[in-house]
Order: sequence, then structure tokens, then C-alpha cells
Amino acid sequence: MPGRKVLMDFEVTPDSHSLAAYRARGGYQALEKALRTMQPREVTQEIVDSGLQGRGGAAFPAGRKWQGIDPDDGQPHYLIANADEGEPGTFKDRWVLEYNPHALLESMLLASYALGVRHAFVYIRGEYDIPWRRLDAAVEEAYGEGLFGEDILGSGFSCDLFVFRGAGAYVCGEASSLLGSIEGSRAYPRNRPPRMTVRGLYQAPTVVNNVETLATIAWILRNGAAAFRAIGTERSPGTRLISVSGHIRNPGVYEVELGYSWAKFLHEDCGGLLCNKPLKAVIPGGISSQVLTGKDAKVLTAEEVECLTLDHEKLRSAGSSLGSGGMIVIAEGTCMVRLLQIMLRFYHHESCGQCTPCREGTGWMHRVIDRIVAGEGRPEDIDTLHHVARYNDGTTICGLGDAAGYAATAMLDNFRDEFEYFIEHGRSKFGGNLECR
Amino acid sequence: MPVMFINDQPVDTGEHRTVLQVALANGFYVPHFCWHPELSIVGNCRVCVVEQEGRGVGIACNMPVAEGLRIQTESEPVRAQRKAMLQFILLNHPVDCGICDKAGECTLQDYHYAYNGAPALSHEPKLHSTKFFPLSERIILDNERCILCSRCVRFTREISKSNVLGMEQRGDGMRVRPVEDRTLDDDPYSDNVIDLCPVGALLSRSFQYQARVWYLEPTASVCPGCARGCTVQLWHRRHEWRLKGLDGSHNERILRVTPLENPRVNGAWICNKGRDLGALFGRPRAGQALLKGRPVLLAEAIDAARRLVRGAGRRVALVSSWGSNEELRAFRNALADRFTSFVKADHRPGEGEVVEDDLLIRADKNPNTHAAQALFGNAPADIPDDTELVLVWGEGADFSTLPRGAKIVHLGAWLQPENGYADVFIPISIQTERHGHYTSFEGVVSAFEPCQRRPEGVIDAETLFPLLAAPPGSDT
Repeated sequence: MPGRKVLMDFEVTPDSHSLAAYRARGGYQALEKALRTMQPREVTQEIVDSGLQGRGGAAFPAGRKWQGIDPDDGQPHYLIANADEGEPGTFKDRWVLEYNPHALLESMLLASYALGVRHAFVYIRGEYDIPWRRLDAAVEEAYGEGLFGEDILGSGFSCDLFVFRGAGAYVCGEASSLLGSIEGSRAYPRNRPPRMTVRGLYQAPTVVNNVETLATIAWILRNGAAAFRAIGTERSPGTRLISVSGHIRNPGVYEVELGYSWAKFLHEDCGGLLCNKPLKAVIPGGISSQVLTGKDAKVLTAEEVECLTLDHEKLRSAGSSLGSGGMIVIAEGTCMVRLLQIMLRFYHHESCGQCTPCREGTGWMHRVIDRIVAGEGRPEDIDTLHHVARYNDGTTICGLGDAAGYAATAMLDNFRDEFEYFIEHGRSKFGGNLECR
Repeated sequence: MPVMFINDQPVDTGEHRTVLQVALANGFYVPHFCWHPELSIVGNCRVCVVEQEGRGVGIACNMPVAEGLRIQTESEPVRAQRKAMLQFILLNHPVDCGICDKAGECTLQDYHYAYNGAPALSHEPKLHSTKFFPLSERIILDNERCILCSRCVRFTREISKSNVLGMEQRGDGMRVRPVEDRTLDDDPYSDNVIDLCPVGALLSRSFQYQARVWYLEPTASVCPGCARGCTVQLWHRRHEWRLKGLDGSHNERILRVTPLENPRVNGAWICNKGRDLGALFGRPRAGQALLKGRPVLLAEAIDAARRLVRGAGRRVALVSSWGSNEELRAFRNALADRFTSFVKADHRPGEGEVVEDDLLIRADKNPNTHAAQALFGNAPADIPDDTELVLVWGEGADFSTLPRGAKIVHLGAWLQPENGYADVFIPISIQTERHGHYTSFEGVVSAFEPCQRRPEGVIDAETLFPLLAAPPGSDT
């Protein structure tokens, strides 16, 4: 098994998601402890000490984000759990929502207590039906036992939770556009400054955290920041839920201790690649993270096993990121041109259209790659794609444009020969394969 | 006062809060599409990029001012990114400048020449969208030209508050559309979106295909539509571009009206009524002096009027609230002692017209009531039955309510049936034919300039009043 567990530390049974089962494994003790013995700022300090990083993609320290809010400034504050898990390849939050919803709810109560939040929201993507039912049932259970509402556990602290279902736009997973969606306007990402911890939902200070980030908080409060720091690496403490898909024998959601060996994870825990093919590339954290090539991965598979491990620093130094934990494994023999086409089609389709580079650039790249795949590519197309990708990166309001740029740049840099082959011959070097045969 | 540096020159940031405002106020031009001083910041065009030393390139419209901030507006990364953004904007823009009304005053055109200038990088066919989408009886929308800066949408939400426009769809299929079951007809300020549009996407039906803007020039004027006194620009053919082949009226026609920005009165906006001044001033003119409907020479009519002014017993004058400050003064100096004067409302709210609102439109539909009442009081017209002479200056008097025995001297500019009913009718000039000033209801005095020639046989009221005061038989 890939290391110690934080969220998957129990056996999944047909009713392990219920409140009774959660209580039986120590649930809501941290809440009682915090409400009775801790000040809100102490809860925040505990999270700062734990070194917990955001699990949504940017890996921003959660404690630092919380410190942006003064719980006593007299304004209303809002807490939002971002469960709009739209990143292709990512389905880890779904596991939390389906199998451990009370961990999220307890953590949200703790976070609300720490941040002085009266009304908390869960923004869940509309396509998630079972997770939504499970979450909704869990919220009802919690309300039934007085864990939400007025005067929780007799502490004088009150908090209400609203579950808000999205309507399926990828851009709503961006924290600031999610606010627009809740407010009932178009889900447009917002310009910073102001930061959301200054002016967010309904113009009030707001913290938006990923479901996995939030769900970890109950564990940290129960076991202490030191115990959390003992897991994972020095700079990336804790575990990550990794959703593995692609050409892999055992796809699914795995909880991996940060710093775990990549090769071991792929070849032992996930059962290796389909058809025993060699590894060509890995998209480590949802398609918005840069693709890692087999070249890097070979380092993994062969002698220097230690060289690449699953943690934020190592991947950042390798030029990618652990992103949202949506790992897509790509075996040798896959046509990267068609893969990029699919990725760019996604970004084109999901661009919200607010700011120029992404609105025009994603469509431009999509049309160029469509033409290449149709066999009508021109030699200058690669430079065009590079140019568009370059100016999609860092010029937009939100990260969607950046991500489309990364995707194209990483693919073009690493597999330029395949693109050149496709353009020169009008057909794929690998027969246009996306499946593993 | 915080001080920052733009292109290594220290500048005082003053009251401004963003780098873009500071740069523009200090003469460093930073191109921008979506930003507008009167509208909220959305930062979606991404063209106003500047380099903050040490922090890289970012948009200036949303960059807060800070002490000691060092900004470069023309560094190499800025130029490159700006150029790339313009290429993105032009990607699906049809570049049909040859048939576009905006050509010549189009921001995108200007920026392309100033900051891009390169041929298109893309070989892909342009995306097609709706052409000539009717937004209202006055405005059509060309979605292909639209660069989605959202200025028009923000205008209807933040300024006119009609909330008519919105965006639909997303990505490069996004379009400006009216919200369900509504059109821009609901918005009495709708035509401002035509000026706001940085490209030729929002087009005025009345101005469409009428003229290339480089053949036109504006004349500063004041809208006489209500007591607000909005300053406007009347656009007509440039003098040097007048065509002999066209008749005079065509060469002098007012082709469109735009606001003349004036923070004290109307800001950057005017209402739709002001846009229609061309039609108001284009009504059939009276150019013939009449004596009881019989055409006479102007001098003859003036002489007849003089005799009436001298001879009659009780005399009443209905003073026009469309007269300029100068004309009103001339009337007072020359004739006020011979008449009991009342200020008359020349125009009243028309059918379906917005009477008054919180933005600009005032209930008094006359431009100079304020100045006229300052001179002649605000008492309602009370004409005794034994009145022997009524001087009616301007429109809006109901002749059937005047005393039956009274003689009528009418000074009017328009061809109207009652002109022939008056004992003496003298045609006078209109606002576009003379200099003058109006005083708004707030007491703000604004000037208007002539842009049309006074027709033959028509006299300025300011010249006329001293003549009327002179004894019969004097020179005219």
C-alpha cells in the first residue's frame, strides 16, 4: 500500500459513509474538542503548523489562506468547499463525497469556527449525482443531531450549510467564478486584486478550499499538527488522493503518502500498464498540469527509483505539478497529436469567453490541431501553436487559459517529432491510437 | 501624495486608484478596449498591459497604485504581449472596414496601426455569427465585429440601469443579446452604446451607410431637448468635402449627434432624444415673411410689426424658452418696456416620451426656461381680454386661446399653419444657424455654434428685436 492514510483510514462497507460509522471511528471528536477548548485562532494556527497545502491544484498553503481572514472583523465571512471537480482525469473528491462525507462536514464546521463563518457552502458539480445524494443525506443526518444550525453542541457557535449544485461548466471550478455561479450571475473568474479573502462571495471575505483539503482538517485537529507533519515529506506533509486513469491496469482513487516512489506506485500499487506496454508519458495532475514524458519516467522505471517521487516539490522541479491529483497514464504507442486535440477541444469548449486570449486562443489552437489531425497541417502550424500557447499562459484572468497553454506547450516540446510527422505525412505516427492495444 | 514612476519619470498619482488612470492622466497612453472611466473594471480585453518592474507584465486597469511603483508602458515584453492580444482580438474580427461605419474612428483600427501592424498569423477561416441583429428600432448589432469588451452590457446595467443587454453562450461563441422579451427600445439612453462600442458592432440605423466619418466634422452645440442642457456634437459634412453635386441641404444636413463630454452637465452620455436633433432641426423651415398669409418682403413685415408695436394699446409678449441668453437679453433691452412678458413653454413632453428620470432627462422640455424666467419671471401666462397685441415668439402657443380682438405678431422658424393666421409672421433663425448660449436648470451656461447657413429671408431674433423697437419707416 502506498504509505500511511488520512482519509482512507477505514474499510469501506455499505454504510461506512453514515454518521454512526463516522462517529465509531472517532468522528466529530475534533469538533467537540475545538468548540470546548480552542479559540478560533488556535484552530487556524494548528492548520498553519500542519503545513497543509491546497489539494485543488495550486498547492497554496491552506493555513496562509485562512490567515487572510480576521475572524473578529465584524463582517460576515463565507466558507466554500469546492466540489466542482471538473478537471479531466480527476475524480478524487468524488471518493470523499461518496465514502467519507462526514469528514468533509466536520472539517467544514471546524473551518467555519476558525474563520467566524455563519454560512458555509458546498459547491458540487451538477454531474455528481450519487456524491450529491450522499452528501445531502449526510448533511441531513448532521442537522438531525444538532451538528449544524444554531448553538452547535451547546457552544454558542452557529453555522448553516448549503449544498449548491453547479450546472456543469468547467470554469466554475475556478474559485472566483464559482462565487458568481452561487450569486446567480455568469460564472466569470474575477480579477485579482482584490483577493477573495478580502472581497469574495457577496463582497464579503471568503475562503474557497478544495474538498480534499477541507476533509483533511478534521484529521489534523483530531491527531494534531505534529502527527500530520510526520506523514509525507518535509515540504509536502500529508497524503494525496490520486485518481489514476488511462492505460493502467487498476485505475481508481488511491491515497498516497507524499514522497512515495512513483515507480512503485505505478507498477506495484496500480498493477502496471495495460498490455505490459512501456510508459510513454504521464499527465500527473489533471490535464492542466504539464505532461511528463517517458524520458523522465524512464528515470523512474529503471535504476534511479528515488529520483522522482510523488510530492509537490519534486514534480515542480521536473517542470510539472501534482495539480488536482488526476493522473493519466499514457502507454507507448499512443498518438499524442490526437490526445492534444482532445485536450484542446475541451479547453475550447469550456472557455468562458470573458477575456480575450483564452476566448480566441483556445478556439484558434483547436482549429489548428483539428486541421493537423485532418491531414491538412502546415509546417508553420507548430510555431503558431507555440505562439498561441505562449500568449495564453499568464495573460488571462484565471488559470484556464494558462492551462490550455501548458497543455499545448508541454506536448509540443516533448513530442515535436510526432507533430512534425503528422504534418509531413498527413497521418499519425501511431495510427491515431488512443486505446492501448 | 504618493509618487510612482512611469517609464522612469516620477508622476503624482493624485486621486487615481489604478495605474491606467494615472498613466492616462499624465500623458502616457496605454491602449485599452474594455476599460471606460464611467464603467466598472472588468479587465477582459487584456490589451492595457504594462510592466511592473520586478513583477512582470499585467493589466494596468486593475493594477492598484502604490508608492514607488515602477511601471514601463513600452518595454519589449509589453509590446510583444499587446501585439499578441491584438492578434487574438483580430482573429475572428471580419476586418470589413471598407463597409463599416466605424472605420476612421475605430479603436481597433487605430490600435492595429499603432501597436500591431502585422499581417494575420492565422490561416483558419473566420468564425461567422449574426449580422444585422436588431437590438431596437434604433440599433443593430453585428456580432462578427463584436470584440466582447462588454462595455454596452455594463452601460445598461450601471448607467442606464435598463438591464437590457447580456451575454449568451460562452467561449468564442459568446454573443451580446438582449435579455428575454426585451429590446433596447426600453432604454431611453440606448444610443450611447454606439459611441461606447470600440468597434463597429453596434450601429445606428439612422446613421448606417450615411457617410464615412472622415468626411464629417463635429460642431459643438447644446441639446435643446430639455432643461438639462447636455452638450452635444452635431456631425455634418466637412466644409472642404462639400459636394457641388449635392444640394445645399444635403451638404449641411446633421447626420448624427454624439455627446460632448462634460462632467458638469451630462458626463459622457446623452439620451436618445438628443440623438434625433437632426430630425428636429431638419423639419421644414419657414423662409417667407407673411402679412395675414400674404407673402411679403422681410422689410415690409418688420415695418408692419413696428407699427403694431407702436400703435397698439395693451401689449403682451409670449417669450420663447428656446431663445438664447443673447436673444432674451436683446428682447429685454429693446422691447421689454413695451410689453407685459410671460415665459412660454415652446415644447411639452411628447407622446411616449420619458418625462423625467434620475439620470439626465428633465420634465421641462425647453433649453432655456431658467434664463428666460430670470428675466421675465415665472408667472403663468395671463392675457387680459382687452389685449390689443400679442407677440408670439417661438412655438407652442395655442392661437385659439388668444383674445379675439388682439393682433398677433408671430416670430417662428418652422413651416406651420398658424404662420398664416398671424397678422405679421417673421421667420427667425434656429440654433444651428447662430452662436448663442443656453442656461441649464442648474444654472450652467453652455455655448452652441452654428453649422448651417441661415436661409435667405430669415433674420436672427437678436437682430430683429432692436429693429422692432425702432420707429416705423427706419432702416431694416
